[in-house]
Amino acid sequence: MIFNYDIIVIGAGHAGCEAALAAARLGAKTIMFATNLDTVAFCACNPSIGGTAKGQIVKEIDALGGQMGINTDKSLLQLRMLNRGKGPAVYSPRAQVDKYAYHANMKAVVENTANLDLRQGEATDIEIIDNGFRVTTGVGLSYDAKAVVICSGVYLNAKIIVGKWSQKVGPNGFSAATKLTDSLKKLGFTTRRFKTGTPARINGRSIDFDKMTRQQGEDEMPPFSYLHENVPSKIRDCFLTYSTLATKDIILKNKNLAPLFTGDIEGVGPRYCPSIEDKVVRFSDKEKHQVFLEPEGEGTNEYYVQGVSSSMPAEVQYQIFRSIDGLENCEIMRDAYAIEYDCIDATTLFPTLMSKDVNGLFFAGQINGTSGYEEAAGQGLVAGINAYRFINSLPPFILTRENSYIGVLIDDITTKPTEEPYRMMTSRAEHRLILRQDNADIRLTEIGREIGLVSDERYMKFLAKEKEINEIKKQMKVVYPPKKLQELFSDKNETQPKAGLTLADCLKRTNITIYDLQKHFGLFENASKQALEQIEIDTKYSGYIEKQQVQIRQANKLETKIIPPDIDYDKIQGLRIEARQKLKKIRPQNLGQAGRISGVSPADVQILIVYLMNKND
Amino acid sequence: MSTIIALSTPVGRGAIAVVRMSGSDSKKIAKAIFEPFPDKPNFLKVGTLALDSFSDRAMCVYFDAPRSYTGEDMVEFHCHGGVGVSGEVLKKCIALGAVMAQNGEFSKRAFINGKQNLSNAEGIIQLIDAESGMALRAGENLLENKLGKTTVNIQNKLTEILAECEAALDYPEEDLEISTLNEIKKKLTSTYNELNSLLLSAETGRLVSGGINIAIVGKSNVGKSSLLNALLGENRAIVSAIAGTTRDTLRESVIYKDVKFNFVDTAGLRATDDEIENLGIERTRESVKKADIVLNVVDEDEKTINNDKPLIIVRNKMDKLKVLPKEKENEIFVSALFGTNIDRLKQKIYDYFQVGALSQDDLILTNARHIDCVEQAKRSIAQAIYAADETTLDCVTVDISEAWQSLGLITGTTASEEIIDKIYEKFCLGK
Repeated sequence: MIFNYDIIVIGAGHAGCEAALAAARLGAKTIMFATNLDTVAFCACNPSIGGTAKGQIVKEIDALGGQMGINTDKSLLQLRMLNRGKGPAVYSPRAQVDKYAYHANMKAVVENTANLDLRQGEATDIEIIDNGFRVTTGVGLSYDAKAVVICSGVYLNAKIIVGKWSQKVGPNGFSAATKLTDSLKKLGFTTRRFKTGTPARINGRSIDFDKMTRQQGEDEMPPFSYLHENVPSKIRDCFLTYSTLATKDIILKNKNLAPLFTGDIEGVGPRYCPSIEDKVVRFSDKEKHQVFLEPEGEGTNEYYVQGVSSSMPAEVQYQIFRSIDGLENCEIMRDAYAIEYDCIDATTLFPTLMSKDVNGLFFAGQINGTSGYEEAAGQGLVAGINAYRFINSLPPFILTRENSYIGVLIDDITTKPTEEPYRMMTSRAEHRLILRQDNADIRLTEIGREIGLVSDERYMKFLAKEKEINEIKKQMKVVYPPKKLQELFSDKNETQPKAGLTLADCLKRTNITIYDLQKHFGLFENASKQALEQIEIDTKYSGYIEKQQVQIRQANKLETKIIPPDIDYDKIQGLRIEARQKLKKIRPQNLGQAGRISGVSPADVQILIVYLMNKND
Repeated sequence: MSTIIALSTPVGRGAIAVVRMSGSDSKKIAKAIFEPFPDKPNFLKVGTLALDSFSDRAMCVYFDAPRSYTGEDMVEFHCHGGVGVSGEVLKKCIALGAVMAQNGEFSKRAFINGKQNLSNAEGIIQLIDAESGMALRAGENLLENKLGKTTVNIQNKLTEILAECEAALDYPEEDLEISTLNEIKKKLTSTYNELNSLLLSAETGRLVSGGINIAIVGKSNVGKSSLLNALLGENRAIVSAIAGTTRDTLRESVIYKDVKFNFVDTAGLRATDDEIENLGIERTRESVKKADIVLNVVDEDEKTINNDKPLIIVRNKMDKLKVLPKEKENEIFVSALFGTNIDRLKQKIYDYFQVGALSQDDLILTNARHIDCVEQAKRSIAQAIYAADETTLDCVTVDISEAWQSLGLITGTTASEEIIDKIYEKFCLGK
């Protein structure tokens, strides 16, 4: 039997769901496969969504019309804002979710979306046929489509490791995908092994919470999705505790049993997500490490032990966990483990996430060497949109470093080969002040509307907010004479102005907030909190934002200098050997991207500029 | 890229002239005019240059890319000095396909081929331009990449500070031993001070590189022009005419010890017409503007001019005095006519700028472009310090990054993943 579709999505994790929903909502007849339907939008590791830089990504996905923000709001256990006090540019919303609710909610949406079929099955083979691809599943059925999006996450040839024991199985015991890598290799792809890990899960009834510090959600947190008004943010609490010197001793004593140090693990793990044995060995002068207990769901006692991922043997794990303050009598329900998996080199992809070598084949998520649900979802959204546009011969959809974190992410992974799983951080975004969690809608809603994923409801809300902001901005331009400002300024300990000032000028003073203006002048009484916040941030930051805008304008100059796809780098004299090699390998689209490749120096870019100039003469 | 050629020794008379060629055709062209061509690189061989109207004995050496100054294939001819021979060599090679090199083009190719970083290349140019011992040493410093090392040092400190800030921003929930905003301010302040010292030395460095500009002012007939002649003496160095004004202005220089003295507006000093006398006041003001130090020549008991530039009162015609009064701190008695105390005057100028006290290390920042970069970096750090009080950490990092980039402009490097690497190297992070 052969089934016909427009688009096939392989994998139903965070990337797969965004890709499939986007494609289907745009109108493509789509089918999404999972080796097990219980893995739909499954949070295999941390039961949380968001965090530094990741929270920003979720807002962007939402602004563009993706699903992650909406689904998170529906599955909340707790919601907080990180980095309060360090500046609005780095505010990052973070949610603890009920992982089972998260899965069920997403699956329900997928099951009920028009144009979208959900199917259990392991894709074992991809073949190129006329006009597209044929995907065959383990049970022998075949599916033809014009484009395929591969979102296999950490399932390709997955292997779980606990000490000396290992099993060729995916996260949490779900079946691995054992045939697809070979199929990809036949298509010319090379893969490499990456590794990640997860901590144990512990029965809450065996935890001594009194020894720990309670961490609650924040009151009045705005929801992740721009479509929602209010969400409950304090349903469950997390708990902070610490490992001890005993923990350190146990790990050091058992070092020779750790697969990490015995070489039994082949894959490269991420620096920023080290196992506890890794932490203790590398930072040996630290006496204790932070540990967070996070609830996994409303209907279960299971707690996720953040900070203690490990692949130590099961027996040693008991010693390790029981040496942590408050966990002296803990019952382990699931072992901590390391997991190895195959992934590809994303520098072989265009910024649309389509393969440079196989037209119509897209890759999104951890298979690209990234880590994190949010990073995966962002890629899934972009890949799904581009798969649709590809089969309809529409111009590609590319997010840039200047308009989104997703743009930074995709540019980074397609330009710089990563040696370890890639995690988004705010420090990767040179335009961090502009890419904020509070203005994702301003940056991206129009774009999402043009693509066709932004609903009328969302668009109307956005227009209303924009209108509101513009009205307030107008009022902010009104000049107030010094007499009228006296009370406000003395109230807030600011030096009295000698001349009249606009309200915007007043807002630039360190101690004056927009709520002060509201109070003193009775303005913007009906304004929404979000609109007010927007204006305040934009105004106070205007100096620094302008600085960044200048930098953006400079960077844009090089972005627009397109490099012809047929350029022969061997013919260009003066390039250094390393630069030539990298340029040939990565085939950057424009001079801006060329300059970001490691090994290509500003001098090499200069040579390219001169070469291209001469060619055009 | 073309094959470039240029005369590497100064134009004019000299025993030997060196003509240098760089580019993929250099060997081909050289073989066509020099025989027997050396059979291995880096080997100076004697032979014959076959030029259009004559041949000449000369030496030739070739270098294979990338092991040459520019990183390309290179050939050098060492031939008899004088415009005749070298000119013919240039002509012949150009006829065979070489192209006359632009100013600094050899160094530019060296930079492009990774043989130099920017400030090395500039060092070479400064060495070539050096007209005084001090400038020579400043050029040498650049060449030895002292500036590069100093700025990389400061950049590294900024990297550490940035890594701390970024770690705090990207890992707010970890208990990192990260400095508080106050501590970061302190570290920034110390970097600011380092940049400041670098700049202060630049001021002196500039004088030393370009020479100390000296204006000689005073009423007519006090002996300004004789003083000038006495100061220039036999060792008159460069006479450069500065175009652009209706009156002739001249700048004449002399080397004293290892530094250059530039006497500005010397044409006016030689005039004796009444007409020009009337224009004297204006001219005086102009000269003083350009000067780093002013020699106010007076005879007898005259009052001196008032200005805010460093000043030495030169009491001329001391030969006419029977008894010498005591010299005040900033004055000196001389006799331009007899040459008395002229050397002392030069030493006084030299000492004023503490040229003697300058160590090799002070001569690090002498190039205008570098000074500009360091000043920008300094400004950005000042803003970062201000931002630490008035705004939040995310703004502070913008300014620190700017400072980092400005310093990177000196050596031609730009930011990379260094900061991120530093974060993970320093801190134990992660879920």
